[in-house]
Amino acid sequence: MRYGVVLAISSLLTLPIPVTKRACVLIDNPKTMNQRRQLIVSLTALSLCPWESASAMPSEAMQAMQAIVGKSPVNTGRVYFELPPLVESGNLVAVKFSVDSPMTPTNYVRAIHVISEANPSPNVVSCYFTPLSGKAEASTRIRLADSQRVWALAQMSDGSFWRTSVDTVITLSACTDTV
Amino acid sequence: MNAPVPNLSRRNFIVGSSAVTAGLAIGLDLPGFISTANATTASNASAAEIGVWVVIQPNDTVVIRVVRSEMGQGTITGLAQLVAEELECNWSKVTVDYPTPGESLKRKGVWGSFSTGGSRGIRTSEDYVRKGGAAARLMLIEAAANQWGVAPGECLASNSIITHQASGRTVSFGKVAAAAAKLPVPDAKGIQLKDPKRWKVIGKPVDRLDSLADKVTGKQVYAIDLKMPGMLNATIKECPVFGGKLKSFDASKVNGMKGVKKVVQVGDTAVAVVADTFWQAKMAMDQLPIVWDEGSNASVQQADILKRLEEGLKADQAFVGNANGDFKTAASTAAKTIESQFFYPFLNHAPLEPMNATAVWNQDSCRAWVPTQDGEASLAAVIAASGLTADKCDVIKVNLGGGFGRRGAFQDYTTQVVNIAKQMPGTPIKLIWTREEDMTQGRYHPIMMCKMTGSFDDKKNLTGVHMRLSGQSILASVRPAIVAQNKGMDPLVFQGVAKGGEHGIGYDFPNLMIDHAMRNTHVPPGFWRGVNVNQNAVFMECFMDELAEYAGVDAWEFRRKYSANHPRTLAVLNAVAERIGWSKPAPAGVFRGIAQQSSFGSWVAAACELSVTDGNKIKIHRIVAATDPGYAVNPAQIQRQVSGSFVYGLSALFEEECTVKNGRIEQTNFDTFGSIRLKQMPPVETIIIEGGGKDWGGIGEPTISVAAPAVLNAFYRATGKRVRTIPLKNSGITLI
Repeated sequence: MRYGVVLAISSLLTLPIPVTKRACVLIDNPKTMNQRRQLIVSLTALSLCPWESASAMPSEAMQAMQAIVGKSPVNTGRVYFELPPLVESGNLVAVKFSVDSPMTPTNYVRAIHVISEANPSPNVVSCYFTPLSGKAEASTRIRLADSQRVWALAQMSDGSFWRTSVDTVITLSACTDTV
Repeated sequence: MNAPVPNLSRRNFIVGSSAVTAGLAIGLDLPGFISTANATTASNASAAEIGVWVVIQPNDTVVIRVVRSEMGQGTITGLAQLVAEELECNWSKVTVDYPTPGESLKRKGVWGSFSTGGSRGIRTSEDYVRKGGAAARLMLIEAAANQWGVAPGECLASNSIITHQASGRTVSFGKVAAAAAKLPVPDAKGIQLKDPKRWKVIGKPVDRLDSLADKVTGKQVYAIDLKMPGMLNATIKECPVFGGKLKSFDASKVNGMKGVKKVVQVGDTAVAVVADTFWQAKMAMDQLPIVWDEGSNASVQQADILKRLEEGLKADQAFVGNANGDFKTAASTAAKTIESQFFYPFLNHAPLEPMNATAVWNQDSCRAWVPTQDGEASLAAVIAASGLTADKCDVIKVNLGGGFGRRGAFQDYTTQVVNIAKQMPGTPIKLIWTREEDMTQGRYHPIMMCKMTGSFDDKKNLTGVHMRLSGQSILASVRPAIVAQNKGMDPLVFQGVAKGGEHGIGYDFPNLMIDHAMRNTHVPPGFWRGVNVNQNAVFMECFMDELAEYAGVDAWEFRRKYSANHPRTLAVLNAVAERIGWSKPAPAGVFRGIAQQSSFGSWVAAACELSVTDGNKIKIHRIVAATDPGYAVNPAQIQRQVSGSFVYGLSALFEEECTVKNGRIEQTNFDTFGSIRLKQMPPVETIIIEGGGKDWGGIGEPTISVAAPAVLNAFYRATGKRVRTIPLKNSGITLI
């Protein structure tokens, strides 16, 4: 494949492209994308709840995660996930996610999935990588319906899964929280 | 404006905040964003934090943390009363502190929501702030008890003194504060709050903590007054047609003008001029050649919008917000149906202080000073616009010259100023909108038409009511997620006439249909004080009078019949009717009107007396308003709020309207968008009813809606004319 990254987009993504559920779209060469953006901060393990006690997670989000992970265990950490803790309206939220990986044919990141706990659809965006990607990193804009926890779930070439989460508050919800 | 200029070194305001009094900790010794009698000393190292809501200084000064925004509505005083009640402190030594949203983020949101709107400052905080005060009291008592070697249960706190009852030993809060600060904070779940019957501070008309004197003398510093060393002033112009973009501008024409420092593009849609003074920036902006790409909305006219609204009144498809029985059948089998059509316009918030904000951007920090109703929303905007991570950003809340809903959810001015500041790193930029910009770049009260239909049987009994709303949805634009959740319907449209909840209708009709034909426009909608209650009260309460007239029943009696199962509606209705003397004849030439509605958790009603000369000059002699918010924290402040809401509501009724021409808002200043004056304002008597209950009601908004229909109903009695179009100036009617 000439391009290293393929994006599968849910109906909530706000990129200026025709939006269909699970449409595949090619984005520009990730190497130039990397040149444009600099990965600044180190990996952060923000996730707190172990996979076993995921009962706090709403069922749709859990099902969405399970559909990806199957019966494999999910580790906490390794994924860098940047999402502002405070967001004005949720219509346009800048996110960045990445995994530090050598991206060799035997050791690379297959995909990073963003899963929402409070959106009408839990699958927000999935980003697929190959060793040609160079770096397992992407940034985009997503939509968030309400204040919530958002997960970044990484799928590795060795079959392992890693995840982290960020809690965010949509300040506009406060205006209509009684609705 | 002669605002005092603080004597600061530049280093002071870039420094980060400290834990104790973050609101003032950046060293800006400005004359109090909240001027209180006991101004807190920012860096008093011996002040002790006792739980997150209370800080006690050795001299017994009690600093209460508040995160809602004070904008003259009295929220900081009310919230402080709530905390002080449970804390059992000496009220005369209470002062208030404003933690910044950045501080709150660092401490994982311990103070809850900063959002000050929806009349919810007190009603949604009351539980946890009271518990915060109680927790601090328990910690102080425990510290004293430990010192004395006695059980805490043997001690009482009152007026900032802890007493061991058996031995008579006493100690003041200030002396045990340090020890108390080291104790664990009791779990909120286990805290018992006082029985309202024992309240000593809550329910009292205590003097407000925000200085009245400073407001009257012009001493109060508003965001527009801020001055900082090295600060530049900016003004901005955004594409006057909503949805349009900035195409180009020619800075060379103004760069040489006196004081002009820079002309910058702001986003896709605006251009700003930065100069030494605001006036220089404005002069340059007036000379700046700008080319807009106005887009397709440039052809939208008011008539086009009205046409679509008219069509919506008849449309087959509408979202049903509240229904029972079968209105269609009731109507088709009716002996008589009455139908009336109403109109309510776009409105601008028009606060006296135009939109403004100040910011300074550096590679590793961005700080903004914002007159905001929601510090967190401002911070969210700063984070997004600065390109920095959250920990590098903060917002200092500054006094607002009017909010009314423009300065909470919408932070466009904050985003703009950070955008400008980022283009001039290290320089504080104060962005002030001109009045014209403020009038034409608002977030407008939605335009709405309504067709009211009532059906009667042959005995003139009401058999059904249909309320068809046609007009703009606020949430479709501002919070589409909620509309999606409700399958395309905007539930907020039905405020005041909803099926139940905090905006529930106060009437039961045999067959009812309330539905909304959503007709959105390109005009950006927003939350104007009252949101949707203003128009819904006019529609419903004016029509109730029409129904009563046909039925041959007195207007008060007619309402009582349909609110028979709504005791709190009845209570406020009866209160105003009795106080105005409804059952007794009015003096010659004086006519009365009545109206009620519930919204934002409160029940309200109003009755007015007015006279009309020449058929179109209204003199309102008096208004009697009743409000039942469940609990009254500060009755004096409630009275002020109720009166104030009538200033706002009557101004809208008589003078205000925004119309669209060539895609733009036509009204650019107070000459075409008026406000009533002091001499026009009638006296307002406020009756406060404390109906109790589990949920507290709001004060800021509910009453705003009922003066208009009361006046319109009285006008009919005076003249025989039903006026169903707002504002009244369009019908040649004036308030004298």
